[in-house]
Amino acid sequence: MFIKVRRDTLMILLLAFLLILCGRIITYVAYASSPEVDQGVPIAGIIVKGNDVVPIETIRENVQAAGFRENSYIDGDMLVTSKRTLPLSEAITNAEQFACKSTVPGTTLQPIAAADVSVDEKTGIVTVTVIEDFSTIPVSNTTSADNASYNGVNTAQFKETA
Amino acid sequence: MNKKTKYLFLGLILFLTVFTVISEVSATCNIIVITDPTGQDPNGVAAGSMSFAKNMFQSSFLMSKDKQFAVLSGGEGNSSDRVQAIGQCVAALQNGASPSTAASVASSFNGIRLVVGGPNVGAAIGGSFDAYVVEEQDNGEITVTPYSSTSGGLAVLQEGHRGAIIHLRNSEGNPKMGTADSVRYQTAVNMGKMIRDGYPATRIVGEGMREVATDSGEQYGGGAVNLVSRVTTGDMFTPTEMNSTGYPMSENYTKSCPTCGWSVGFPEADNYQVCPVDGSQLKTTNACDALINAITVTSNTTSVSVYGSDRAGLADTTEAIVQASVTKYGYNPDQIAGSINKGIHNGLIMGVNYVEPKDISVKENSRAVGVYYEPLADGRTSPPWNLPVNSFVLTIIGTIQTAIGIILILLVIFRSRLIKNFQDRK
Repeated sequence: MFIKVRRDTLMILLLAFLLILCGRIITYVAYASSPEVDQGVPIAGIIVKGNDVVPIETIRENVQAAGFRENSYIDGDMLVTSKRTLPLSEAITNAEQFACKSTVPGTTLQPIAAADVSVDEKTGIVTVTVIEDFSTIPVSNTTSADNASYNGVNTAQFKETA
Repeated sequence: MNKKTKYLFLGLILFLTVFTVISEVSATCNIIVITDPTGQDPNGVAAGSMSFAKNMFQSSFLMSKDKQFAVLSGGEGNSSDRVQAIGQCVAALQNGASPSTAASVASSFNGIRLVVGGPNVGAAIGGSFDAYVVEEQDNGEITVTPYSSTSGGLAVLQEGHRGAIIHLRNSEGNPKMGTADSVRYQTAVNMGKMIRDGYPATRIVGEGMREVATDSGEQYGGGAVNLVSRVTTGDMFTPTEMNSTGYPMSENYTKSCPTCGWSVGFPEADNYQVCPVDGSQLKTTNACDALINAITVTSNTTSVSVYGSDRAGLADTTEAIVQASVTKYGYNPDQIAGSINKGIHNGLIMGVNYVEPKDISVKENSRAVGVYYEPLADGRTSPPWNLPVNSFVLTIIGTIQTAIGIILILLVIFRSRLIKNFQDRK
């Protein structure tokens, strides 16, 4: 041994180590057994209605991206997410816009013409009602700038090929 | 934000923006089977897509839940052509067009193929294809007819007839190049035999895909839909990232425990021989069997609805646990709640509080079980422990112990100096 240590020193060190370890464990147990902190109404889930071809998961993911996801909660008329706190009405507007951007998986088709999001402030359930309309998708002869940004792609791709 | 959600967002951004850059998508195997043209049998009409190629997303096997039609797509053409074709085809179908009219939309695009069908309306394939139409004639004879077209073609399975359409081509780069012709014929004949023998459409689609996947190498999912019961495999087998391939349908998919519902997907499943929860033997499921199970509705299938939390994986795990509990104990809310609580206790289910029998709604007649969860706040993964000691007291004891420990260490470090000091004073 390079350092001379007396045996009783070692014993005391061991005792101290045990004390600290037990102390930390007890603190964790205290946390684990503590009743939950009350932090408003947690977002319980998203119910999607009215979709036909677009899968529920796609719409749900987009609405979750607007803040209505797990671990977000409603505090008064504010929505607290893991990233920021924003007014509930603003979050609902965002969610409606995001829901309209839902695509058919694997394509750029955005068939959702309109979306309505309502939040039950007592239960935390988010209800999304969408209207799908394939006939209004600008898939041909789209030359307007509006449609170009709508699909997020170059208009040249959508010229008539028939 | 945990890592999973982060990936989810990344995926989402990809979905919204990068799909525009797909240069080529080709679903090289499309199958649609109708064994009950009246739409009475819950497994009577099914369809599926697979390929050796990349990017086999759900757009290659779309289903309308309201109007009961499926649109399978593919082809060697430009992806924006395919997107247009799908859009026009679905729009036509939603306005009540027949499958042949809708499928012929593909003719106006170069190299694109559309397969359309549903109960009560028959099926059709249009555009660029190499297909067999299996059809039961009015005299009960089953015919297998080849159709081929490089563009603008149309082949129809008549409305009211039992039958199937299978399209198969080899993708570029497939090591089993050149097998498509013989496999297409063999699979068509075998599907015809299965139609004759009275198998449900969901099973025939699965077996057809198994044969195609093993023999022709066009094996990456893709997925399948059951049009009558409106079930889809969703993203079970589709790729998770752009420009990658989906799940190989010729390989094993999961290992699961028949008693408690625990399951694990491949390749991780290679590490498990017995169930880590209760030690029972695990059951290995092939990808095609998993596909058949996913889209087939049977008398012992329980439909499980989960409310109260959208946590990733929660619904699937709950379904497996409820399924196992129902097979073992029947439709008993107490037993189901017990099984779910065991799952929560074991850490199979995370982020929700324990359930009570009143949180389980059971409708035995329609074989449906609803589970109402209460999500845990504060990002906790398991419910609070139920201890007789107040947690506040525990916090204080724990902190004092830690403090004493640290003081002891300090005392030992300065031990000699302290003793010396003490003796000097004497």
